[in-house]
Amino acid sequence: MESQPIPFFVRFRNIGVLVVLIVLVAGAALLTPQNTFIQEANLKTLLALGPEFGIIALGVGVLMVSGEFDLSVGSQLALGSLIFISLAGAGINIYIAALLTCLLGVGIGLLHGLVVVKARIVSFIATLGFMLTWRGLTEILTAGKVRSYEFVQHETFVQIFTGRVGDVVPSQVIWFVLFAIVLYFVLHRGRFGNWIYATGDNAQAARAMAIDTHLVKIVCFMIVGFLCAFSAILQTTRTSAVTTHAGTGWELQAVAAAVVGGTSLRGGRGSMIGVFLGALVIMVIDNMIVQARLPYEWSYAAFGVVILAAALLDLGIEKQIQRAAV
Amino acid sequence: MEGSAQVPANDEEELFDTGSLPCVSERAAAEEAAPTNGQVLLKMVNIHKWFGRVHALRGVNFTVHRGEVVGLCGDNGAGKSTLIKVASGYHTADEGQIFFEGREVKLRSPKDARALGIETVYQEQALCPHLSIARNIFMGREPTTLLGLIDQRTMNKESMEALASMGLRLRSPHALVSALSGGQRQGVAIARAIHFKAKLVILDEPTIALSVKEVREVLDFVRHLRDQGVAVVFITHTLHHVFSVADRIVVLAHGCNLVDVRTKDTDVDELSDIIARGTLGDAVPTTQHAR
Ligand SMILES: Nc1ncnc2c1ncn2[C@@H]1O[C@H](COP(=O)(O)OP(=O)(O)O)[C@@H](O)[C@H]1O
Ligand SMILES: [Mg+2]
Repeated sequence: MESQPIPFFVRFRNIGVLVVLIVLVAGAALLTPQNTFIQEANLKTLLALGPEFGIIALGVGVLMVSGEFDLSVGSQLALGSLIFISLAGAGINIYIAALLTCLLGVGIGLLHGLVVVKARIVSFIATLGFMLTWRGLTEILTAGKVRSYEFVQHETFVQIFTGRVGDVVPSQVIWFVLFAIVLYFVLHRGRFGNWIYATGDNAQAARAMAIDTHLVKIVCFMIVGFLCAFSAILQTTRTSAVTTHAGTGWELQAVAAAVVGGTSLRGGRGSMIGVFLGALVIMVIDNMIVQARLPYEWSYAAFGVVILAAALLDLGIEKQIQRAAV
Repeated sequence: MEGSAQVPANDEEELFDTGSLPCVSERAAAEEAAPTNGQVLLKMVNIHKWFGRVHALRGVNFTVHRGEVVGLCGDNGAGKSTLIKVASGYHTADEGQIFFEGREVKLRSPKDARALGIETVYQEQALCPHLSIARNIFMGREPTTLLGLIDQRTMNKESMEALASMGLRLRSPHALVSALSGGQRQGVAIARAIHFKAKLVILDEPTIALSVKEVREVLDFVRHLRDQGVAVVFITHTLHHVFSVADRIVVLAHGCNLVDVRTKDTDVDELSDIIARGTLGDAVPTTQHAR
């Protein structure tokens, strides 16, 4: 059998993202003042904080393959943190508190999914509404104040979520990689993954083949909700506090991560390896901006440019695919 | 309104109203479609379908026999797609009965129709362009290994076999559907039906936007299906395409039956005339119903 042109592009795409990542890391190492990027303290911070974003980006990538968006992930993170810290503060067993937080996250995802598929509100708009709703709710409930809780009393719990493996690798990295592997199997090796792709690629064809595209989308929203809640637990345990502005701007960074990783803005195309690498790219850029001591507004401009560039590149790749079709 | 005034007095039994009111339902329901061979496989009686205020099907009768190729024709908006979407469980009829292999069936979803052996290749692209050939053929029915993961090897092997059985040689089961020609895509969609042992395959405008060579390919696929004893409903509004393969031709107009005739009892000119006049609404078919 001859080689196939299209899968080659797909593979090529991931290698491309890997190259971008390596160039970025090298650039960051050389260009940040006093090379702070590669200093141990910064790398530790990056590896502990980055996965909080990365885990959410993985879910957003899966959701985008199904053809939908969730712009409320940052707000879900803030709300999740508040819920978790409130439950813990109420004296509930910390593991049960974590479990309840995750279940609530899944419930929020279910709500998002139902609103999108049953009420037929475009997810971009629906989740924009939820972004404001959940953020507003978090602010109302905290009255704008920082809520804190001492997690140190739960030594094992803290170790599981924010400790270090072998004194080197932060637990968060392990969780991030673990979720990426699980979602890789879901997306690429399981039946449900094929349904996600089919739903995003041609929902009509999928429905005709008796795939419940509504259910597929709802489950994808639930995956995002779960991962936001999980990330909220990681973050809250690390900081021992919840701030109302946690996760602001992450909704677009997550879309950027997925798109950089080769996920189509129109659904049906993308890969878990790509999204994983894309998330790393965004984490590094975010960290670079902090290390270069640029004002935070710079990150908006930077991620804006990244999204546009990746979308343009995607357009070019789609054209290549069409051309290969002839 | 159109046409109903011109109904001739003779041979009243045989006529179908082409007007905008419901087709003459009791009479239409009593009609037996012209068998070309074998027993009745699918029988749809007095089917009505509304989309809001649009009365898309107004009491249509439609019968397909085992191993028969039926051409379903009519102008744009006549209700062809809607009728076959009812037959494939995509839409549910607002009124009417459906019989499959002699038993009345309720088709609530595409799943129900597939379970009976009705496979449909839709006009609006039956495939996912960015997925591989194998994943398209097995879409929604992916075989799994003991671990619950997709059995890619079985999928690859069986999809290539199904394609080869239709004389379609494609490079690899991993190739994306977007890399295929229009004719090859129809082939993949039909291979899916063959692999899952369909008794009835419905093709909605399979030759639309295809080159002459690709049309010939698709017509070959249809003959192939018939040779394997599979019944085919072939929708087109290009009569020439359907004439070379169909045993029988059914024409719809404005959501009603207009013609039901054996291909050998008519010719392209006569039928195009009827279709044209039927839609103009100033005439009544001469060849209404073959017995
Ligand atoms: N999903 C739908 N919603 C509303 N109207 C529809 C829908 N599908 C078909 N129709 C209407 O029903 C009529 C028949 O359409 P269709 O079955 O697609 O015709 P054909 O396939 O013969 O061209 C048309 O008037 C069309 O506009
Ligand atoms: Mg049609």
